Amino acid sequence: MDWQGQKLSELLMQVMLVGFAISAFVVGYSMGSFQTMLLVYAGGVALTTLVTVPNWPFFNRHPLKWLEPIETECHPKPQQAAPAPSKKKPSKTHQK
Amino acid sequence: MHTFWYRANAVLTFAVTILAVICGMASLSDNFNFPSPHAHVQVLNINWFQKQPNGNDEVSLTLNISADLQSMFTWNTKQVFVFLAAEYESPQNSLNQVSLWDGIIPSKEHAKFSIHTTNKYRFVDQGNNLRGKAFNLTLHWHVMPKTGKMFADKIVMTGYRLPEDYR
Repeated sequence: MDWQGQKLSELLMQVMLVGFAISAFVVGYSMGSFQTMLLVYAGGVALTTLVTVPNWPFFNRHPLKWLEPIETECHPKPQQAAPAPSKKKPSKTHQK
Repeated sequence: MHTFWYRANAVLTFAVTILAVICGMASLSDNFNFPSPHAHVQVLNINWFQKQPNGNDEVSLTLNISADLQSMFTWNTKQVFVFLAAEYESPQNSLNQVSLWDGIIPSKEHAKFSIHTTNKYRFVDQGNNLRGKAFNLTLHWHVMPKTGKMFADKIVMTGYRLPEDYR
């Protein structure tokens, strides 16, 4: 999931849950049934989970564009053969 | 929101928080209900009235309890507990409350009732003050909600009197 997808997923989750909560309360209160309210809300939570939790393709529409790899020949690695053993030796003697 | 389980956790916690909020709103909606219950109790008979060996007065009554408690029920009501108490004053206690009958009303359909019964719990005084005693019959109730605050109230019915002699 890319950055835009994460933002979209969080927004979708909040809007859907609040929307389902409001509609569940309105339906439950108007029908006079507490159980109906809970069922509507439970359905809403299940649907929200299904939409926002899996990594759906529409969360991956803005892939990050990385820089082109820089040629290694232009910037050769620093030589590490010579200083490495000289560093190790004093540390060993220090431990003893 | 970068992994599956992070998003699952976010959905769960936010959903439970909102559930608590709507339960709170359901509880608050009970405050817009103004019940107008009716109750009427008749003492049909004094079955017996005697002094126990330990000196306490005990009386057995036959009662007819009729009540309409339907207006107490809202969408957030689980059940209503009602009890009928005899209330009177005696030299030791400024208020005696003796529970004579109780019941649990599970739904609005059962909230209008008329019951012919002897007292379910024994009507015993602390002492021997019951002869000729005027007393009140009070119907107390507790409205038990599915979520939130419990409401309690009562109806006081006056003008009952016990006989002057044991029988």
